Order: sequence, then structure tokens, then C-alpha cells
Amino acid sequence: MKYLFQSMVKTIPVLLLITLIVFLLIRVTGDPVSLMLPETATEEERDSLRESMGLNEPLPIQYFTYLGELVTGDFGDSFRYNTDALSLVLERLPATFELAIASMIVAIIISVPLGILSAVKRNSFFDLFITGGAVLGKAMPNFWLGIMLILFLSVTFQIFPVSGRGTLGHLVLPAITLGTGIAAEMTRLIRSSMLEILEQDFIRTARSKGLGESIIVNKHAFRNALIPVVTIMALQTATLVGGTLITETVFAWPGLGQLLVQSVNLRDMAVVQAATFIIAIFVILSNLLADLIYRFLDPRIKYE
Amino acid sequence: MKKQLWLLLLVLTLIIAGCSGGETSNTEGEEPVETSDSKTLVIANGTDIVTFDIHDHNTTSTEAVHVNMFNYLVTNQGEDGFQADLAESWENVDDTTWNFKLREGVTFHNGEELTADDVKYTLERVAKDDTLLEHGNYNQIEAVNVISDYEFEIVTKNPEPALLNRLSRLGSGILPQEYIETEGWEVFLENPVGTGPYKFMEWQRDDRLTLEANTEYFGDAPKWEELVFRSIPEDSTRVSELLTGGVDVAVNIPPTDVDRINETEGVTTVQSPTQRVMMLVLRTDEDSVTGDPLVREAIDLAIDKQAIVDSLLEGAGTVTRTRVTPGNVGANEDLYGQTLYDPERAKELLAEAGYPDGFELTLTGPNGRYLKDRETVELIAAMLSEVGITVNQELIEWSAFNQRYQDRDFAEMFYIGYGNSMFDASLALDRLTIENAEGETDYDNQEVNDLLLAAEQNMDPEERAQQYQEAQEIIAEDRPQIYMFQLDAITGINERLDFEPLLNEMFYADSITLK
Repeated sequence: MKYLFQSMVKTIPVLLLITLIVFLLIRVTGDPVSLMLPETATEEERDSLRESMGLNEPLPIQYFTYLGELVTGDFGDSFRYNTDALSLVLERLPATFELAIASMIVAIIISVPLGILSAVKRNSFFDLFITGGAVLGKAMPNFWLGIMLILFLSVTFQIFPVSGRGTLGHLVLPAITLGTGIAAEMTRLIRSSMLEILEQDFIRTARSKGLGESIIVNKHAFRNALIPVVTIMALQTATLVGGTLITETVFAWPGLGQLLVQSVNLRDMAVVQAATFIIAIFVILSNLLADLIYRFLDPRIKYE
Repeated sequence: MKKQLWLLLLVLTLIIAGCSGGETSNTEGEEPVETSDSKTLVIANGTDIVTFDIHDHNTTSTEAVHVNMFNYLVTNQGEDGFQADLAESWENVDDTTWNFKLREGVTFHNGEELTADDVKYTLERVAKDDTLLEHGNYNQIEAVNVISDYEFEIVTKNPEPALLNRLSRLGSGILPQEYIETEGWEVFLENPVGTGPYKFMEWQRDDRLTLEANTEYFGDAPKWEELVFRSIPEDSTRVSELLTGGVDVAVNIPPTDVDRINETEGVTTVQSPTQRVMMLVLRTDEDSVTGDPLVREAIDLAIDKQAIVDSLLEGAGTVTRTRVTPGNVGANEDLYGQTLYDPERAKELLAEAGYPDGFELTLTGPNGRYLKDRETVELIAAMLSEVGITVNQELIEWSAFNQRYQDRDFAEMFYIGYGNSMFDASLALDRLTIENAEGETDYDNQEVNDLLLAAEQNMDPEERAQQYQEAQEIIAEDRPQIYMFQLDAITGINERLDFEPLLNEMFYADSITLK
């Protein structure tokens, strides 16, 4: 409990720093007013809009006003949509979670059997094939894989819908696109983690007791090999919440990633700030979760 | 172990098979695209609509959706003039007063009746509130005076020959005063109400907006039961949706995908002009090398605009020597479809101007704002180098470009494309008056200046158009702006439809019909 509390307190300076960095970055990279008005707008029109958006104040004052409002849970209003930025972000979370969970399931379905197989059949043809495939999977850019999947599975064979959100079918292609890269990383990790465990004494003891190979691999080795895998999974889930930008855009998936891309393009400051804040909280929480799962998997780990 | 693997494979296959059922089962085999007679029209845009506050946005693609929910007082029919919509008739009483009679018996989607008070509320809101994005296009309106429920006057601050142009575009939809004032803007924005042929059903941001037929519509009965506007930002995804029959209409088709779509049975593309004209803007002050009219002419003659249209845009554009293209008040059609290209003469002109060995200049352009903008700038630079002009290319990201554009901080030349939602020459040429040109082109032609200022407030439509046409002749020779081409829009459509895209890029759903 004490550990939990301490971790929570530690997140405050991290969050503060994130708000400052995002606040500054979004302001130095371009003027939202020039992006909101057409080429033909007059100087007066630009000025009055800038004034009404509070952009004429000096930066430190803008930042402290923003922090003051943040404490009360007010992230400000979106320039683009004219509504509360936080509710815009929260509105998108279900779609993003749906995609993140589905991608993680895809990644697990692919990586667990392949990782184990690759370790058990070390240096075999299978092993070579799987590790080679993992390198390929990691190297493929998401947007390319997404477009290729659409071309083959939606346009040519018409098995899955092209884009949008709705049925389970809509979820498949974006989940495969995102899941492939994670699967590649997890496969390699499970393989090396399994290899290490399989060399250890207790495995030899288990074998000498005459236990079946499948029990040794699945029960004894795999559970112990899970610890580093869980870390990566937790971190990847957090990345998935914030990092589905390209995939969501390719598949017109109405999640947080697409909102963030468009808000950055239009310098919709309040939304960018709210979205990055929420993502930061997720990253912190999933790290914490990973710590707690360790403890469950390996009771030897204790927190002071 | 082997057994488990097979089991896993089986499960995977089952999952995939399970997902592929449902709505995708209506598409069989590869091609052709299935054409149905569904009464739902699905249109794929590149971006979602921004808001239902018709006064607080300036995006054409949002307005293209709004026109199905709201009505203007009059509609702009281009060369055929203006047509009655909510207004039954109108009259220009004096230079600054316009009298309108409103159509009777029109109801909003919530059942309220439309009266002159709604018009007053709508137009005075945008004319007076300077925080609204459309304020600049309506602040010429001094007041709207209600005479009776169905009659009102619009009073302008100055003579406003383009008033009807202003009232037939973005921001001109008439809003329900009572509904907004009793329920508040928040409720209106969640549940917008207009007088149009389609009414609001559902909006999922960045996914889809659904409208349904308004059976109480005062005009012809709506032709569709449901309209769905989908937001699909990625070009190739939009094309794929069209190819699989997922959408009926897809906007902004990249020129490179046109052949692929046209070769697929059941879908096709249409190419139509837009209001955007791409141009080079040049400094004309004496300190700049482009200050010499001979140099500007040489630059114009050295660039083969038709070749750029043919090669980079794959034909999706029309060369022009004016920015006021057909369909706009004051267009000079003699200059449209025309272009000059004569590199030999360009070399002679440079020699005459005292640059037989050429010179260096900087050309700034945005990267990623307009169709093939970077490639165009590169090609222009290559063409200019053929006649001896060395071009320093400066390609920058749009928001940075825009910042410098506002600060009027470019060197000799920049590349830009202007739209014109007013459909009138005044907006197209207003950067070329002496006052407005300062610091940008520094164009200083008294004759053009007088013509533009006189036309701005001239209430005689014919004389006004002539003034604009004359100004365009002079500008085409003076070349403070060298016009390149008008961009075409390429729209992909399912062949079950009859659809001709409009110059204003609006999607009037009822002008799209089943074959």
C-alpha cells in the first residue's frame, strides 16, 4: 500500500513536466490562427481571433492559467470543435481501448505459441523461420502493412470491411496491423526468456523426475519466462493507447490517435494537451500495473 | 505440442471466418463493384465536419454537408444568377437597403415556423459577434429590420453589390431563433435544427454523420431516406472503400488512382473545376530583381504550365491567365484557358532587361498543402533554369509558410493557391490594391487600384463586371501574380448514381440521383 502511494506521488512531477513540454512544443511549432483562417483573411480578422483565443497573453501567463484550470479538471475548449477538450478525448477512449485490446490479443495468439516453439526447437528450421519472420514483422511499417491488408483482404478478396468502426469484422485488419509488430517483439522475447529458463537446474530436476515434456515446458518453464514478457506487454498496451495514430488514420478508426493527429495538424492546443495528459497517465498506470503483476508471478519480488 | 498447434490454427481460422460474416457477405468475388438501389447515400470526405455552428467555421467540406440541413435565403446559380430559396423575392431599394419577402409556411425540423425574426437573429449574430470565424464576411451588414413576419430589410454599412453572393454561401443558413434561445447553444450543437431537406440523426466524430429525410420539407420531397457522411482521411483507404462499394461518392481522388478506378466496372471518376487557382506571387518593388516588368514577363514565358498540368496533375487542371475563373462575377473569360510559353523569347527578354547570363532568385512554396505543390515548385525551378534563372527553392511546412505569408516575409517569389467562396471578383483581386499589396507584391498601378476600388461599391452589375475585367487585363500584363492553373477536383462515384460535382464543392444530396 505504501509502495502504491509513493508511486502515485512520484507521478506528479512527471505529469507537470509533460504538461510544460507539450504546452511549449505546440506553441512553438505554429500558430493555430493562421491554420483556422483562409489565405484571404485580413490582419484584423486574425488579430481579433487571436485575442478571443487568449493567445495574445505572454506565454508564462498562458501556462499558469492553463495549470490553474487543469487543477479543477478543466482542459479548456477545443478550437476546432468548440467544446470541452477533455470530453472529446474521453469520448474516443472506448474505440482506442477496443483496438488496443484486440491488437494485444492478436499479438498473444501469434507470439506465445511461436515463441515457445522457437525455443523448444532451438536452431531448427522452425526456429530459423520464426525468428526470421519476427524480424520481418518488426521491420514492416504500420501504414504499409495496413494498406496492403486492405488491398488484399478487403479490395481483392473482400473478406473484411475496408475502414470504419462497427462490427467485429471492422476490428480485424487494424488489430492485425498493430498486433504484428508487437507479436514480433514478444516472440523474440519469449524465445530468449524460455531458452534461459530451460537451461536451469529445476528444469533438469523436473526432467529427471520423468515429467512429460509438455508439462515441463508449459507449467514449469513458461510461467517463469513470463516476467520480462509481462513488462513488454504492459508497456506496449500503454503505447497502443497513445500510439495508434497511423493505424487509426489508415483505417479511419475514430479513436484517440486520429483525434490527436488532427488536433496536432490544426494546433488545437487544448485537445493535444488533454490527450497527451491522458496518455501519460496511462503509461504511468501500466508501468505500475506491470510492477504489481511481477509480484503476483514471482512472490520473491518484494517492494519496500 | 503438435496437437496444440493444430488446435490453435483451427481456432484462428474459426475467428477469421466468424468475423468475415455479416455485412461483408453481400460482396461476391473480386469485381465488378456491386451496384444496389439502396436509398442510403454514403459520401466519403477526407475530413469530418467541424461543427454545427454554421457561423464559426470556414471549411468548405463542412458547408458541403450543412447545405442539406439548412437553407440560404437565395442560392447562387453562377451564370444563371440567383435563385429564390427561403426568400421568395428581393429588391434593391437603394444603395444600402435590400428588401426581402420570405417564403410562407416553412417549418424548422422541430416544427417551429420560419419568420423574419429568425433571419434577423441569424444574420445579426454573425454580423456583430467578432469572435465568430465568418464575421469578416458578414460585418458589412449594419442591421436587419423586421417589417412583418414575412418581410424584412437588410441594411448595409456601405453600398454592397456582392450582398447576394455573401448571403448564398458558408454561414448563410437560417437558424431557429426560438429553439436556440430557449434551449441554448449547447443543445443546438448536439441536436441541430434547420429547414433543409435532411435532418440530423447522429454524429460520431471522425467516423460518420447520419442525416435522415425531412418529410415535412417545403420543397420537392427528399430523394434519399438516409445520408451518411463518412470521414476517411487516408486517400488510399477512401479509394478502397469506393472500389468495394462501401461508399457511393469519394472526394479528393489522387490523380494516380484515376485509371485504376475507371478500369473497375461499377465505379468511375468525374473531374470538375474548383475555385482554387495556383499562382506565383512576385515582388514588384524596385529593389527586387522581379521589379523589372521584363523579368516578370520572362519568368511567365519560361514556365510551361500546360506541361505541369499534364505531367504532375495528370490533366486535373486548366491553365489560366486570371484568377477570376468562369462562374464568378466579373470573370474575364478571354484570359481563361490561356497560357503563355516561349522560352526563347524569355531569354531575349532577360537579355533586354540586362541579365544575359541570368540571375538568382528565391522561390518559396508550401510542402503538402496543395496537390503536388512540392513537385510543382521543383519543376518551375527546373524550367526557369533552362532560361538561365537560378532558383533557390525554399519548401516549408504549411503553418510555417503561413506565418511568413502573414508577416509578408517572402523573397522575390512564392507559390500559393487561393480559393474564392464569394464567387465574386472582389475577393479574388483584393490583394492587388495599392494598400493591400504593400509589403507583399508592392504592386502599385493607379489604374488597377481605381478600377478595383470603384467596382467594390458599384451597384451597376454590368459596369462593375467590366471594371473587374479591365483590371484583369492589366494585371495579366503587369504580372504581380503569374497565374498558373485552376485545380480540378476528382471525385470517385459508384455508377448507380448520376452526379455532377458543383463548382462550389457542395453536396446537395438531391442533385445526386439513382440512375
